[in-house]
Amino acid sequence: MKGEVELKLGFGSHTETRKVEVPDGDAPPWDLNTRFTVVGTDTDRLDGMQKASGRAKYTYDINLPGMLYGLIVRSTIARGKLTALELEEARKMPGVRAVIAIKEAGKKVRFVGDEIAAIAASSIDLARDAAEKVGITYEAEDHNVDYLQAQGAPVVDDSGSVADDWTAHEKVDGALGKADVVHTGTYRTEVQTHSSLESHGQVARWDGDDLEVWSSSQATFGHRGELAAAMQARGYKTGSVVVHAEFVGGGFGSKFSAGVEGLACCALAREAQAPVKLMLNRFEEHTCTGNRPAVLIQIRGGVQKDGKLVAWDWRSFGGCGHNGGGGGAAQPDHYLGGIDQRRDHKDLATDTDPARPMRAPGHPQGYFGAELFLDELAMKAGIDPLELRQKNDKQVIRSEQWRMGADKFGWQKARNPKPGSPMPGDDPRFLRGCGLASARWGGMGGGQSGCTCRIHADGTVETRNGAQDIGTGMKTVMAVLTAEELGIAPAMVKATMGHTNDPSGPGSGGSTTTPSLAPTVRHAAWLARLELGKLVAKQLGVPAETVKFAGGKVGPGAPMLSWDDACKLIGPNPIETQGKRFPNYKDAAFNNGVCGAQFAEVLVDTWTGIVKVTRMLAVQDCGVVLLKKLAESQVLGAMIQGMSYALHEQRLLDRRSGRMLNGDFNNYKIAGPADMPEMECIMLSVANGHTNTGAVGLGEPPSVAAPAAIANAVFNAIGVPVRHLPITPDKVLVALSQRKGA
Amino acid sequence: MTREVEDPHGSAFSRRAFLKGASVAGIAGATASAATAAGKTLLGRRKPEVFGPGEHEIQLKINGKQRLVKVEPRTTLLDALRERLDLTGAKQICDRGACGGCTVLLDGEPVNSCLTLAMDAQGHELTTVESLSDGDKSHPLLQNFVACDAMQCGFCTPGMVMSSYACLQKRGKPDRAQIRHDLAGNICRCGTYGRIFAAIERTAQAGGR
Repeated sequence: MKGEVELKLGFGSHTETRKVEVPDGDAPPWDLNTRFTVVGTDTDRLDGMQKASGRAKYTYDINLPGMLYGLIVRSTIARGKLTALELEEARKMPGVRAVIAIKEAGKKVRFVGDEIAAIAASSIDLARDAAEKVGITYEAEDHNVDYLQAQGAPVVDDSGSVADDWTAHEKVDGALGKADVVHTGTYRTEVQTHSSLESHGQVARWDGDDLEVWSSSQATFGHRGELAAAMQARGYKTGSVVVHAEFVGGGFGSKFSAGVEGLACCALAREAQAPVKLMLNRFEEHTCTGNRPAVLIQIRGGVQKDGKLVAWDWRSFGGCGHNGGGGGAAQPDHYLGGIDQRRDHKDLATDTDPARPMRAPGHPQGYFGAELFLDELAMKAGIDPLELRQKNDKQVIRSEQWRMGADKFGWQKARNPKPGSPMPGDDPRFLRGCGLASARWGGMGGGQSGCTCRIHADGTVETRNGAQDIGTGMKTVMAVLTAEELGIAPAMVKATMGHTNDPSGPGSGGSTTTPSLAPTVRHAAWLARLELGKLVAKQLGVPAETVKFAGGKVGPGAPMLSWDDACKLIGPNPIETQGKRFPNYKDAAFNNGVCGAQFAEVLVDTWTGIVKVTRMLAVQDCGVVLLKKLAESQVLGAMIQGMSYALHEQRLLDRRSGRMLNGDFNNYKIAGPADMPEMECIMLSVANGHTNTGAVGLGEPPSVAAPAAIANAVFNAIGVPVRHLPITPDKVLVALSQRKGA
Repeated sequence: MTREVEDPHGSAFSRRAFLKGASVAGIAGATASAATAAGKTLLGRRKPEVFGPGEHEIQLKINGKQRLVKVEPRTTLLDALRERLDLTGAKQICDRGACGGCTVLLDGEPVNSCLTLAMDAQGHELTTVESLSDGDKSHPLLQNFVACDAMQCGFCTPGMVMSSYACLQKRGKPDRAQIRHDLAGNICRCGTYGRIFAAIERTAQAGGR
């Protein structure tokens, strides 16, 4: 493939033809004229039965002969200095095989849970017994775990608003002066933990100087490099390092690094001369492995009578850990093009573990503030919230999503015409309302990656990459792309991921695994197809370019060889090809990223303040939809996670001790089976044209809108905004008491 | 521990003798109410068997087969299954009965194996997720979990399968409210609940249990 091609891109009636420069050697790109046989269908998850039957082996399930159990001894104070560390008593305990210091005396202690030492013993119970014998002496210092008490924090008054005045800003103030309606609001969110169900951790085994690690990882190659460097830094002669992550029990952004636990596990295994399994417990997960930080957002804005935004003034304060970073909140730029605006953000450090990226970092919290602000502004201006969005957002994909979603959801009928009053026909105890919100994300993919494709003489096909499938279905994507290219069924393709001996791939972050890898996988399959095509052409005496692959047959049309007969031409060594990732085509993308629109309906119990989400709908694009059923699964899951964030999740820290008060799943609530609304997801496939497959990322965008849509639905139901997530019954009861006439 | 204590019912009573009598297992301890302690039951009838500290060999009936396993008295059923018998389908997620990831059936009833001591599981019929498939053969419920894509990362899935299986065993054709009720002890972070409901309903409709 080389040179300029014409691609028909877009969706539905919104199509355009573009001339795209395709790099030399790439597979011919797909567009709207491509007739797919398996791409976009409801293919089953290929490793689904392994997961359902309990036979899938996660890191946590790896049991090796002679394996020891490791744990980390952690700080019980939030800030201070480690003055002495005594490990000898622990070393003498039954079953103990290795004890290492992680922090030397004299070093700073930065949060409750900071790593001090690590122990490996023949059972986890014996390791726990030994942990009690570790002698730790601190010099404690005053600490602060509340970002709104940190230096530089804004003064928040009793109503929840920032008390001090904003400094003047000529342009924004001028624009606000010309607005018909001006509004100000202050919005807050709390800390959400990733709560991956498989905890962070590793199993490490040394064979001489070679290290083999099973890691609950969302970046196998990142972990490999990190662990190799750390072992060398520790003075261990280190040969090869191999990381396995064939199954990963969730990550959501918290598992990019092998972490201190990974380094400790490998060091313990080296010291003990035995394999070690070190998996964190739930308390450690909640307190030591990052989180989505809390944020306080203040917004001023104004609209004209017709709903056109004219000014946007935003400042936010992000709660962070001891490193003081990562607290930013994203804004819905698609509403804000070309208007006068100011944006300020300040991160505030606390004596807690650092924030980590969590599914659409900054977005659910920022969009909650911005979208609720817009609904408040719309109400003040007497404009329908949907109209306000449509007036300010002309993006063609999202416009279609608003239209499809409003139609499917029955927006006009579902809206409570009199917020704060029962809908006609409802029990007056319950207030019903509905809301909507938008999403936006990038996720175009890129970087370097590789893929091995093999076709064997017995007709079996392999596709291999060393990155991880954290539950998105990437293995199934690989099989489907390969099957599409070769004209066979996906079940005939064995897709393998999660071993760093295979070609490299990206970390699963920023919704980039699929858009980064899909073109590489397809390229490998396309090269393999060319090879097999040559053999078949030679056999049949036809030109190679006339050979087609379809319906499990290979040939120029007539005659066609069956797949098995075609593969018999291969010989003892398989066809083996290496796919590569070409850069995204220049100026080709129909859209640089993805959009998304979500709708939610709630029922608020005015007696208890409990909010029940009754219906949710998402309309979501992600470039070319490669696997319909699995894509829908991801969207539905993100909506549930968003609902959980909107209504339940909050990390509670004791200010005095700095310790988490609800560091478990009994008191840190995440949404469960009993909370489920009726849910629906519509996937909008868009031929995007920026790679040979046109896939864009999906993991993050559907998690952006859900909390905001629910907050807006609560506002529509009760007529008073609840500006502080999670929307718990206490806050709802306070809001209800502020209703007009209450 | 050798301190003489006042018996609440009036007679002098050695704490050490009481503890010796009560150390049969947690079950005896739990029934050692003031009334029992005052009577003779724990003090005389039979010589109590003392387990621990250290390991002791016990017999567990798992998926129809008797298995011998060495455990400490404090070892949970979950740890015995996973770390001693390499039955790793059941998962430890919360370690305190809040997530359902470790669900197994004990005499047909779903229990949290992280809250069950391995020694207390002796003499009961245990069923784990591994019993629902054998090579290429699998229970219709598992097939429907796959067909409905009732999983993402899959870590909660074996626990979900066992709660779903127990629901089907108990109710035959459960309605949506019953399914929600029976699964209420299981959590999933990826958000697969709706698809799990669908997998159960599909299995029930086809007459599978």
